[in-house]
Amino acid sequence: MQFNFGKWFGTRAISVLIAVVFCFLLDRFMQGTDKSYGRFLMSLAGIYVTLAVSLNLINGITGQFSIGHAAFYQIGAYTGAVLAANKFSGLAASKPLLWLLLSAFFGAVSAGLAGLIVGIPSLRLKGDYLAVVTLGIGEIVTIIAKNQKSLGEAYGLSTAKIESVFLISLLAITCIAVCRNLLKSAHGLAFLAVREDEVASAAMGVNLTRIKVTAFVLGSAFAGAAGALYAHTKAFVSPPDFSRDVSFLILTMVVLGGTGSITGTTIAAVVLFLIPEKMRDLPYVQMGTPLGVAIGIIVAVVLLRKIQEGFHGTGGQRLARNLGSVGVGAVVAFVMAKLLVMIPAFQSQINGALFRMPVLAVTLVVLMLLRPQGIFGHHEFSWSWVQKLLGKKAPETEVAA
Amino acid sequence: MLDLVSLNVAGLDFTTLPQQLVNGFLLGAIYALVALGYTMVYGVLKLINFAHGEVFMLGSYGALFASWMMGFGPGGSAAAGSWVTLLLMLLMAMLVSGTAGFIIERFAYRPIRNHPRIASLITAIGLSLLLQYGGQAFLLEGKKQAITSKVNPFSDDFVFTPKKADPALLAQASALEPEVDAAQKAFDEQMKFEKSKFELSPKGDELNKVLAAAISKRDKLQNEAATSAVTIRLPKGKLIMLTTTILLMIGLWYLVMKTRMGRAMRAVSVDFNASSLMGINLNTVISFTFILGSVLAGAGAMMYSTFQSAPIDPFSGTAPGVKAFVAAVLGGIGNIPGAVVGALLMGVAENLVTWAGYSSYRDAIAFVILIAVLLFRPGGLLGSNKVEKV
Repeated sequence: MQFNFGKWFGTRAISVLIAVVFCFLLDRFMQGTDKSYGRFLMSLAGIYVTLAVSLNLINGITGQFSIGHAAFYQIGAYTGAVLAANKFSGLAASKPLLWLLLSAFFGAVSAGLAGLIVGIPSLRLKGDYLAVVTLGIGEIVTIIAKNQKSLGEAYGLSTAKIESVFLISLLAITCIAVCRNLLKSAHGLAFLAVREDEVASAAMGVNLTRIKVTAFVLGSAFAGAAGALYAHTKAFVSPPDFSRDVSFLILTMVVLGGTGSITGTTIAAVVLFLIPEKMRDLPYVQMGTPLGVAIGIIVAVVLLRKIQEGFHGTGGQRLARNLGSVGVGAVVAFVMAKLLVMIPAFQSQINGALFRMPVLAVTLVVLMLLRPQGIFGHHEFSWSWVQKLLGKKAPETEVAA
Repeated sequence: MLDLVSLNVAGLDFTTLPQQLVNGFLLGAIYALVALGYTMVYGVLKLINFAHGEVFMLGSYGALFASWMMGFGPGGSAAAGSWVTLLLMLLMAMLVSGTAGFIIERFAYRPIRNHPRIASLITAIGLSLLLQYGGQAFLLEGKKQAITSKVNPFSDDFVFTPKKADPALLAQASALEPEVDAAQKAFDEQMKFEKSKFELSPKGDELNKVLAAAISKRDKLQNEAATSAVTIRLPKGKLIMLTTTILLMIGLWYLVMKTRMGRAMRAVSVDFNASSLMGINLNTVISFTFILGSVLAGAGAMMYSTFQSAPIDPFSGTAPGVKAFVAAVLGGIGNIPGAVVGALLMGVAENLVTWAGYSSYRDAIAFVILIAVLLFRPGGLLGSNKVEKV
């Protein structure tokens, strides 16, 4: 097949144009003072999608288990905040959008450099050890920020407030596009090979260190850019915004969506960042209610695992039983919650907002018990998949009729 | 004898160094108990049990509730504890931790034992988060608690003075005593004519200033004399802690080296599949290892919160857990004596950082050590570097 440069270039130019126009329209749509909360949520969604997809490049695609992604997010955010407050305060005031773009660039460069410095020595380690080192780096960066006077210590730094849904969504789309194109190219195969088997891929001539460090630096740079944009969206950075919990939240997004699946990670990022955000204003509940829900979850998980282990039937029957188990779990949760609340010992009031992190934790544990590869596994969304789904359904309905 | 006072380098106070080393050693003994749990679980399962710090936290809650049951709670009536109180608290902490460790292994790790290792690691992180934030919701609303010092009947210290205070400075200080006394007397005389301490007449004010100057001069000399001495305070409670730790470790050594179960544990850590083929019940051995490690963590938790008077909250297990983990890696993970050596070094390192005036970085030192060890000697101090074979 002959390489058609015009077609190749044309498709890409049109894709870029569509992306830019989409982001611009989104930005227009979100303007206005009454939409400030929606704009904030939209920005956060873009930032978390960037973070999750960039971590997916490290964790899912290259298979290097990093759990300190918030460190690079933090480095980018502090770089942006400090530069905007000191060197570039004039530019930030006069040309906010240009500065925001520059700030994202600086954030990406600083976080990428940090990723390079951290990555070269520590990527020699594997699995659990790499996980612990990255966790440690996350902690060290937070501790340094907490103790440096120039970084505002535990209180934090305030900086110029520049909101731009346009740039944030463009960053998220860029991140997704870079990862997708990488996977489609021959270079991407090397990343996947490293994930599947390091020894075998090294034997086939893949430069392990180079691939791992590239993935790490690229992922860190995107996180840094997201950090710089976050700093300006919120106009304030403080160490708790980049604590270990944030790293774990991003990790949960990747794991839930499916390690290696960009589609899954993106969807999981949007869903998972909304859950804690919405759970902030939960009312006080009686202690029996969450306990009852917990019992219901346990019952459902036990039933679902029983089906996974010992049931051999058609897909439809399996689906019916799975749905049935979830239903049983829900009924048990409801009944237990109502019953437990009647016992005086379980009547004390608990702030519902406290359950934001337990929800994430339960998600992680239940997911590992039931579907360790994540919801999407290694699969991606594609049009042929949609066609297959539609094509397969049609004959079934005929038979049923 | 080395003149520690003249060795005043870079603003460091070398007279307090021996005390800090002793403190570090005692702290390290507790880290050792926790580190053993990490290292044993890693030995049999090749899994880093991230939830071990939370098992530790649950153990300290066990000790807290035990002390409350015996009347040391808020509004409790008990006046002073005895060794029975301490023993019951220890047993309760061990029971709670052991149960938690068993449940975690049985219902979270065992079902996914055959999945890739990353799945176990993610489960461990999830469990750790669940226990921390679940604890914040359910355990006394996540408020900071502390075990009252009343439970500890052995509150006095052994004091060693390897180097006495400078006699010349002491003599100077005591020579100032008559002057202070005279000033005090004059001021007291004047006080009879004054309305109150805060509304002095000019004469009273004058006398008050003289008194204050005399006292501050004497205190300064006394302070200088005190810092010229090297004293080591060893609270009796911490000695009991050390003894218990050593007894527990001897018990562990006996269990691992001399019993059938210990032999099975060692066999599993050498070769998981082969030991299963030789008729070792893997499930039993792994459960036993988790329980053993968790019980030791519980003992450590009780002593940490009672004798080191560490506050208890749902997140209080994280820092000791991380440090103990670093200790296990430092000594060579999977290696039982290594964990103890590593933990003692960790305790000392932490106290040295505090002593050098960087106490806000005392939690960072663990990670710095960890990264250094993993980069330069991944096998740890007592471990061996293995080359991966295909």
